[in-house]
Amino acid sequence: MNSDLRQNWYPIASSSDLPFRHVFHAQLLGREFAVWRADDGNVNVWENRCLHRGVRLSIGINEGTELRCQYHGWRYANRTAGCTYIPAHPADAPARTICNNTYPVKESMGMIWTGEEALDDNFGFNEFSENTVLRPITVNAPIDLINEKLIEEYSRLTFESKLLKDGSIEIKLGNSKKIIFFVQPQDSKLSVIRGVLNQTLTGDERYNFLKNHNFICESLRSKIDAITHELKIEPMVAKISQVSEDLAKMPLSEEGGRKSDIKVVVSEKRLVSEGVVSLKLEGIRAQLPTFQPGAHIDLHLQNGLIRQYSLLNGPGETDCYRIGVKLEDVSTGGSEFIHKNIREGDLLAISMPRNNFPLRRDSIHTVFIAGGIGLTPLLSMSQALHGMGLNYELHYFVRDEKHVSFDEVLKKLGKNVSIHAGLSPESTLGKISEIVQNPMKAKNLYACGPGPMLEATLKIASDLGWSDDSVHFEYFKNTKEINDKSSFEIELARSALSLNVPSGKTVLEVLKSNGIDLPSSCEQGACGTCKVNVIEGEVDHQDVYLNSSEKAEGKVMMTCVSRAISKRLILDI
Amino acid sequence: MIKLYDYELSGNCYKVRLMFSFLNLEFSSEKIEFYPSREHKSDDFLKINPLGQLPVISDESVVLRDAQAILVYLASKYDKGKNWYPIDDPKKIGFISQWLSFGDAITGSSSAARLHDTLFYHNFDIEKCREIAHSQFRILDEHLFFQEELCNDWICDGSHPSIADIACFPYVALSEEGGISRMSYPAIRRWMDRFKRIEGFVVMPGVFPAAPL
Repeated sequence: MNSDLRQNWYPIASSSDLPFRHVFHAQLLGREFAVWRADDGNVNVWENRCLHRGVRLSIGINEGTELRCQYHGWRYANRTAGCTYIPAHPADAPARTICNNTYPVKESMGMIWTGEEALDDNFGFNEFSENTVLRPITVNAPIDLINEKLIEEYSRLTFESKLLKDGSIEIKLGNSKKIIFFVQPQDSKLSVIRGVLNQTLTGDERYNFLKNHNFICESLRSKIDAITHELKIEPMVAKISQVSEDLAKMPLSEEGGRKSDIKVVVSEKRLVSEGVVSLKLEGIRAQLPTFQPGAHIDLHLQNGLIRQYSLLNGPGETDCYRIGVKLEDVSTGGSEFIHKNIREGDLLAISMPRNNFPLRRDSIHTVFIAGGIGLTPLLSMSQALHGMGLNYELHYFVRDEKHVSFDEVLKKLGKNVSIHAGLSPESTLGKISEIVQNPMKAKNLYACGPGPMLEATLKIASDLGWSDDSVHFEYFKNTKEINDKSSFEIELARSALSLNVPSGKTVLEVLKSNGIDLPSSCEQGACGTCKVNVIEGEVDHQDVYLNSSEKAEGKVMMTCVSRAISKRLILDI
Repeated sequence: MIKLYDYELSGNCYKVRLMFSFLNLEFSSEKIEFYPSREHKSDDFLKINPLGQLPVISDESVVLRDAQAILVYLASKYDKGKNWYPIDDPKKIGFISQWLSFGDAITGSSSAARLHDTLFYHNFDIEKCREIAHSQFRILDEHLFFQEELCNDWICDGSHPSIADIACFPYVALSEEGGISRMSYPAIRRWMDRFKRIEGFVVMPGVFPAAPL
């Protein structure tokens, strides 16, 4: 037992208090928790307040993979408690820093345990392999008084009762049966008696045992309540921590570049279809950060190459990242290396997940068009909409049946998936025209696949009257030949700097060599990470990230490939 | 069509609206403004119910007051499957009646606390109301815990919920508006989730839907 009670582990619920899709309301040392079990079995113990308006998350909705606040629908991911969606900003990816407080959790002896500052090493409550958990009894009294009265009561009933070093109470019932009582200090004058028997009872024996000890503890409760009725003790006040300083202040300069700040281990490598392997990446030091559907990571390979891959995880699948890698016919070294050299158990460095392909979840209907390995981000998105029961259809174009990847995930999506195998280029276009026939307000189209297929899809959609802001796309790579002959000036409005961009160098390179650290990822105009706002000047767009109206507007540019037509660009940096 | 003298924020009227919805019955709602105009104490309404209380229904020639009585009447007359009020089973009817009284008792404690906190009724001993509500919730929680042990999802035995569940639900679900936390009643909180998943369940202000399964 630590004198600072926040460092102790206490049971806060019975395992059976967390049925499917339920949110349990708990409190320990004055701090309230929302406790919920995700469909994958993981138990979450979170601060009981939404980061938005402070509403209790214990009245929220457990959707199996995410917890949704009842008030304005903010959604938080299983495990990380990171915000994955804000309904009022449907087209934007929530900032990574919007993350609720999580507390350590253990499940043992039929109970859920936590402690505000409890450490894994101090957890010593797993002595019973079998157990029967008593009905918890809430008493209006501090723990010491309850401990004392419990021993007194059970001794009076002629059972051998004693206080153990870890603060629990052992009651010997005879025949090697014993009950251990743990008293959970909910608040200064409110505690919960939680008892567990060291045997698994069934049938009438279980029922009678539970009834019997429930009666003993209930009558004890009413005796103690009578004593403490007039007792006045100030309630405990749990401190709600302030936002850390680095979040509260505007950062001095953007941290950027291609960072490899997360170490992962390849825990599974599997051939999922002809020419496609899937990698399962698990964090080795800590919980992997929250991702949103559509997000990608930079994978830093042992041969020095950096490649981008979309996460195909479903919502709340936060124990690992999953990616799919297709062996390119003409590999420039990335996919071939992954296929040939990467083995299970390898350590790799990856970037934080970035989402430049955010999914709206306010559409009446969503159409996904995937070509080949372009399935991966759309698979993540489809699973998110599927879990929410929203309308969508996923069309997956593949060379032939042997090239269908991630069959097990597709099966879960059922009738929403249509696989189009072995179509000629002409019939592919015919099929896409059929699929995107009826544009309407609040209908969105997401496409990802090989360049020619994407270009054709965008053209068909535009001809059929889809507006640019309802069509979303992601290229694997930029296959356009980049013309870097021009030379021009850039003025950085916020940094008060003028720089020259000579031919043969990119804006991004010039910025970096002058100490301005802009985040970047693919560095070929496909991913959207190095986007900056343009205040003045005409841009020579060479990327495949922006859509045609964004390019025509000229208010933003990709600094890794795009250049200037005018002599000078004023950038909002 | 059956007419319900109705007030949106009344948990007792909500009991009747739930019954209509579970039985898929059409009804017309005659709005009686409880607050601020106190229309339920007007001469016109006192002619319908001299107690000046909601809800009241009128079904052809029958004018009936008291939420629990209305539940018994509607379930007996319109529930063809005899699930909500198994009229031929004396044991079940006995237990249902026991819990109907309990539902009415919760109205006297939890509902009173809510009126005090939300609708400016200050002629109650609020601390006493809360204390009584807690002692009732403790009994309900214990009962529901042991019902679960016997594989019963509902207040009374059997696989189908009864009007006893409807009579107890609203003022349990609205208790926090009267400052009565349900944190110490996990079995009640689980029962509430199950109740909210009954086909035909409708919400009222302050009562939220449960997660879909």
